[in-house]
Amino acid sequence: MASAQYTRQAGPAMTEATPTATAIRPPQPVKMVISGGFGVGKTTAIGAVSEIEPLTTEAAITEVAAGVDDTSLTPRKTTTTVAMDFGCLTLDPTLKLYIFGTPGQDRFGFMWKDVTAGALGALVVVDSRRLDECFPAVDYFEREGTPFAIAVNAFDGVLSHSLPAVRSALDVAPEVPVVAFDARSADSVRESLIVVLEHALMRARGY
Amino acid sequence: MSEPGRAGPAEQGRRDAVEQVSAVRPFLLTEGRVVDGEQALPMETQLVATPEALAQLEEPHLAFERRAIIETCRVPVSLAELAARLKLHLNVVRVLVGDLHTRQLLTVHVPRAAGGSDLDILRRVIDGLRAIHTSGGPGHD
Repeated sequence: MASAQYTRQAGPAMTEATPTATAIRPPQPVKMVISGGFGVGKTTAIGAVSEIEPLTTEAAITEVAAGVDDTSLTPRKTTTTVAMDFGCLTLDPTLKLYIFGTPGQDRFGFMWKDVTAGALGALVVVDSRRLDECFPAVDYFEREGTPFAIAVNAFDGVLSHSLPAVRSALDVAPEVPVVAFDARSADSVRESLIVVLEHALMRARGY
Repeated sequence: MSEPGRAGPAEQGRRDAVEQVSAVRPFLLTEGRVVDGEQALPMETQLVATPEALAQLEEPHLAFERRAIIETCRVPVSLAELAARLKLHLNVVRVLVGDLHTRQLLTVHVPRAAGGSDLDILRRVIDGLRAIHTSGGPGHD
């Protein structure tokens, strides 16, 4: 692809890719990720804070795109389809936050790079009764150096395990925030996202 | 993966679901071209139709998906949103958007790849979320 031609935003001001561009200036897009095991409340959380109904985008991963040897001439190559939910939130006319949910299954780790590249940070949603399901996400963000926080979903308002117990079981670094949250509550999800961003801010300042 | 072409209608997946289909359908639109993973446009990339593109909407030679993309991009739209609204696969949209950009029908604003290390952006997003938090009621608007 000829993406070298695309204009990369160089500063706070937007630049236009072609001299004939319209006067319409899109907002600067920023991205956060909500991750975690299957059925843990990712889509609920996205829906709670998004200003639009969460959308689902499907990514067709061909074997070519997945990095397997060239099969582009093979007419019956397989394609795997992964569905990703996302929502967005206009913070001001120049800044728009996109919130993407990562596909739950570990075997689609290769999709995560697409979802998480350039993300400000990630919230890993945890059901404390099924802690192991969040391990792939925790491992991934630790490895990539993406700032993240753990959000323990309180199903029906009740935490099955205490936050210190969850922290201890996950064995995350002491500076990684572990908070309780309710995926259905917009306030709760927003506060948890702020926790992630403040953690990212601390890290960016070198603690 | 081991049985290519065996699209399983029985596997009716929902969220986080996976299905195997022939690659012929989605990538027919792109004449079989795929994007290089390393150079793929980020999903939050903003797209806007150019005035030329809007002028061409009056003419018949913009067909089907390309026309739909231009229509949708009258206002700024993210790549992910475009794919979702047109119910097209993300990587198919990436190829079509590349074509339209080459033909100067689409302005492509690639986001800065600063990630979590841009202090100014982090502060602005925190402030933006807090402002919603204090002014908005429960639930979303």
